[in-house]
Amino acid sequence: MLLEVRGITKKFGGLTAVSKVSFGVEAGEIVGIFGPNGSGKTTLLNLIMGMAEPTGGDILWKGVSIVGHRPFEIAQHGIAKTFQNPQLFPELSVLDHMKIATHLRLKRKLGAKRILTLSGMRDVVGEFLAAIADVLRLCRLDQYTDRPVSSLSYGAEKMVGVAMALTCDPELLLLDEPTSGLSQEETVNLEDVLRGLGTHGVTMCVIDHRVRFLSRLAPKAIALHHGSLIASGETGAVLRDEGVRSAYLGIHHA
Amino acid sequence: MKTAIFAVALAAAAPAVTHSDSILTICIYAFLMGALAVSFNFIFGLTGQLSLFHAAAFGLSAYVSVLLVTRLHWGFWISLILAVLAAVIVAAAVATLCFRFKLREFYFAIVTMALSEILRLWIQNWYELTNGTLGISFVQKPEIWTPYGYITVSSSTSWYFVSLTILVAVSALCWRLQQSWVGRAFSAIRLNEQLAETMGIDVFAYKFLNFVLGSALAGLVGVFYAFYTGFVEPDYLSVTQSLDIVAMVLLGGVNSVAGPILGAFILTALPHVIDMGAEVRVILYGVVLIVVILALPKGLRSLVGRERHAT
Repeated sequence: MLLEVRGITKKFGGLTAVSKVSFGVEAGEIVGIFGPNGSGKTTLLNLIMGMAEPTGGDILWKGVSIVGHRPFEIAQHGIAKTFQNPQLFPELSVLDHMKIATHLRLKRKLGAKRILTLSGMRDVVGEFLAAIADVLRLCRLDQYTDRPVSSLSYGAEKMVGVAMALTCDPELLLLDEPTSGLSQEETVNLEDVLRGLGTHGVTMCVIDHRVRFLSRLAPKAIALHHGSLIASGETGAVLRDEGVRSAYLGIHHA
Repeated sequence: MKTAIFAVALAAAAPAVTHSDSILTICIYAFLMGALAVSFNFIFGLTGQLSLFHAAAFGLSAYVSVLLVTRLHWGFWISLILAVLAAVIVAAAVATLCFRFKLREFYFAIVTMALSEILRLWIQNWYELTNGTLGISFVQKPEIWTPYGYITVSSSTSWYFVSLTILVAVSALCWRLQQSWVGRAFSAIRLNEQLAETMGIDVFAYKFLNFVLGSALAGLVGVFYAFYTGFVEPDYLSVTQSLDIVAMVLLGGVNSVAGPILGAFILTALPHVIDMGAEVRVILYGVVLIVVILALPKGLRSLVGRERHAT
């Protein structure tokens, strides 16, 4: 098991945002996370990424607990996350973003020896330009390479987030509502990109409110309601689950 | 790069053209203040930390080196190394305190200001060792090796070249780091700390490294400044001194290497060039600063083209 979440709980004062949630992700799987607003989906991803400290439970990465690890350490383990609202570096161009995202690649490649590269005048990131170009092409951002991110559309900004996460060369990609605010065309584009990643064996956990998008993309799913896991398994079965339909789709059965 | 090499060559040739002691003196102060402003901008411009500890690092190293040379009669160079080491140790303690508690912006500025005041008052009140507010006057000067043998740096011309070398060395180091993957990590932290951390950047470690290195460079400049003037006093560590450095950087332009040097030159030379009463000078100084900040938020540097950044 690549990622194993065991009875994870997060309380904010008197509010329980995530309550004893357990699930696992195998390498190469794409797992959809369903749930209405406020069901704890984003908090769950934040807990995995180390951006929030769990109140209880454990998170295992390749069998080793990563609870208490800071986000940069989790990123170094091989987990990358995108944000619901695009998180970018204002002022900088798309290429600048990609160069910053090569930080981990450089560390993995040279380790402490990367200090030695400072003695020369050469920018060591030059070695990663081909990989950056590949990611930008895959994310259909290649025509924006030198554009400042502030001049991009909302959809392109979200795609820069995905491209940065991919540049980190992650084993697990956590996507927090990647289609929110995107046009239909941008959503189709994103789906193509993510499907492409899936065929390359990239493992993903994807939160999204577009049920069709997510059910096409993720063969496996979990559903949350009021912070608790209410269903898990094959995506079609999860969506047919009475509890999920009641909580998420607002369909009530007598 | 070519402009920088041309400027250095021009500066190196200047003493051959002018023998005016007052011009050389203004240049020496401007070079040393320029190096100090560049080292401050290394912290403020790159990671966005408004350190008001900078003058404290500058003054602490100045005191340590002067005390070692005058009281213990140690050599200049070993005193220089130990003085910079003292700045590194104290800056490391300040950085650990501030960054462990995740202090940012206003809170970081206030805490670094408070710590620098504690240090200044401690030095000022340790009268037996530091001579209190009277400061320490001394005559020792550093000796440096040249192809013509060892010379004592005492003439204005020799100080001119020493201070120019310090400015070039500090600027080159800061520029090189700014252009590298380290500078890129610093910029990422300044622009979006949360995103930087999820990209695998250890925010604490990089902020720590940035603050300690910038403070160490301030310490280095402080030692040479003290040995040039032959005097050290608690005001070296004052918040006013830190704010003067901030003014130089804001005037010249943040986030470039040339900007702070430009600002340091203008604010160092201005009082000498404009021959007015002290009160008028201070008012003019303030007005120039306000006008520039309002009209050119990116400083005077923005008037003369854009500097290439690593990121």
